[in-house]
Amino acid sequence: MSVPTVAVTGGKGGTGKTTVAVNLAVGLSMGGSKVMLVDADVDGPCCAMLLGVELSNGEEVKIFKPVIDATKCTGCGKCVTVCREHALAGLKGKIPLFLEELCSGCKACQLVCEADAIKNGQKVLGTIYITDSNGVKLVVGELKPIEPRSPIVARATMLRAAEELKKGEYDVVIVDTAPGIHNVIAQALWEADLALAVTEPTPLGAHDLGFLLDLTEELGLPTEVILNKADIPSGLRDEVVKTSNDRGVEIVAEVPMDNELLHSYVSGEPLVRKSPKSPAGAALLALVPHIREMFVKVGVT
Amino acid sequence: MKEIVVASGKGGVGKTTVAASLAVFLNKAGAKVVAADADVDAPDLLLALGGGKTISSTEIEASEKAVIDESTCTGCSNCVRACPFGAIVMQDNLPTVVRLMCEGCGVCKVVCPVDAVEVKKAVTGTLKIEDTKYGFPSVTGYLRLGEHNSGHLVASVKKSGRKIAEDTAAKALVVDAAPGIGCPVIASISGASYVIAVTEPTPAAKRDLERLVKVIKHFNVPAGVVINKANLSEDFRGTLENWVKNELGYQILGEIPIDYEVVKALVNMAPVTEFNPNAEASKILTAIAKRVKGEALP
Repeated sequence: MSVPTVAVTGGKGGTGKTTVAVNLAVGLSMGGSKVMLVDADVDGPCCAMLLGVELSNGEEVKIFKPVIDATKCTGCGKCVTVCREHALAGLKGKIPLFLEELCSGCKACQLVCEADAIKNGQKVLGTIYITDSNGVKLVVGELKPIEPRSPIVARATMLRAAEELKKGEYDVVIVDTAPGIHNVIAQALWEADLALAVTEPTPLGAHDLGFLLDLTEELGLPTEVILNKADIPSGLRDEVVKTSNDRGVEIVAEVPMDNELLHSYVSGEPLVRKSPKSPAGAALLALVPHIREMFVKVGVT
Repeated sequence: MKEIVVASGKGGVGKTTVAASLAVFLNKAGAKVVAADADVDAPDLLLALGGGKTISSTEIEASEKAVIDESTCTGCSNCVRACPFGAIVMQDNLPTVVRLMCEGCGVCKVVCPVDAVEVKKAVTGTLKIEDTKYGFPSVTGYLRLGEHNSGHLVASVKKSGRKIAEDTAAKALVVDAAPGIGCPVIASISGASYVIAVTEPTPAAKRDLERLVKVIKHFNVPAGVVINKANLSEDFRGTLENWVKNELGYQILGEIPIDYEVVKALVNMAPVTEFNPNAEASKILTAIAKRVKGEALP
């Protein structure tokens, strides 16, 4: 993507990634930017909920699945051998059994079948929604429950967002990632110009932040830390400071505990719009000019 | 041996706090325990248990990645076109595998006319077995940075936990699952005896719980719900309680109020039930552990 892109991430779950992503997107939009917000946390996408928008008319994410034509299958067993996911099973001389939940849709079975017995089938893994809310274009990827392949849905969501970007109507992209440090997050980070790592002042928050910062360092991605719930009673701010400083990463915002934030979270009205002067609202809104400065600094405006 | 899995859908709702107090409670109650941290992206259970003494550390090679032999490759780019994951890109007229994207499906090997592709085992992460100060062992998976979290490492964690439980005649494997509902969570829940689904009274957590319950019901595992930070939103709390009981048909194992003793305990790296047994949250966590013992280990 050539449009400046910020990935909001963090390592640990529940630290406030979505809160930061949504409020940053709405804040940038209030300041005149044309913003696309991509919810790439396909296991539990919550941006729409925080924006108070209902999702409908989604586009299905489909992959190939083999449909075996029993009249043509010779039972040669080549498809069974080639399938590394063990989604095809069975003895030589018999029509293979297809275990749909294991299939990755790679088509290797179809490619090796000499009898032309494997037809194109389709399997739905999830849904992508595109909608407008609070002046922001929202692209949401949602994994279908019971389906294990989050990476494919996340990737389809990023590709769909890239397609939408081609319209040339956007000047900034915010990507809300899943928690963790796995390849889906790494892929989202790869396409970003800047990462914001959201964490909380506990040993757990600091521990998981450490992994995430190691990953962004490996990817060579400029990263900044946002400390959420910064003033939680008995919290451990020092450890987050140390984890960040040790890796030469700056804490650029501290979002305090704020009842207004909770109300906005529950009611589905972004805080920067609902209560821009509340303590947390002001801290989140202050990110807007900072992000613009960062874009200049990393050379992507 | 019973497998009790603590899951949530949404992150940060208190899985690790519940798992740590449950493991310590069950072990003290005489039902020997093995703890397993299946959140391999962000493994925090051991931190909540005050750290551990390492017994063993093993690299797990559960991933597979395509490797292209440059000396054989003709640069025909069949593999680039066939890869369904966009994991092979042309660089200086030769295909290069991007580690972060490769799912190891091997379709590149199938389409290569000169047999230049091999699919090789790759390091997924590390499996550590540690002794906790509470008298039971813990198994933790640490995913390699940027690696594919396909659930294979979670399966290794559970397998190792089961083996230790068998060897030590433990009665319970307490599994702290990852947030989400994808492959790693499916790997945690399949084969479980009981799931504790932790949530909080917010619309986002409720929605993630709804998605998690579809997975739990698919695998036909009995479950109960814990509402953490229960007074976060009194308005939404009632909605959530009714929905859990009437729509999900699950019992509420306990409702834990916001209690900063929980934060203090985390900072002191101890389960809150041990750090301050008289704290409001501790009393309820203990009552939850008793109920779970009754439900899962009768």
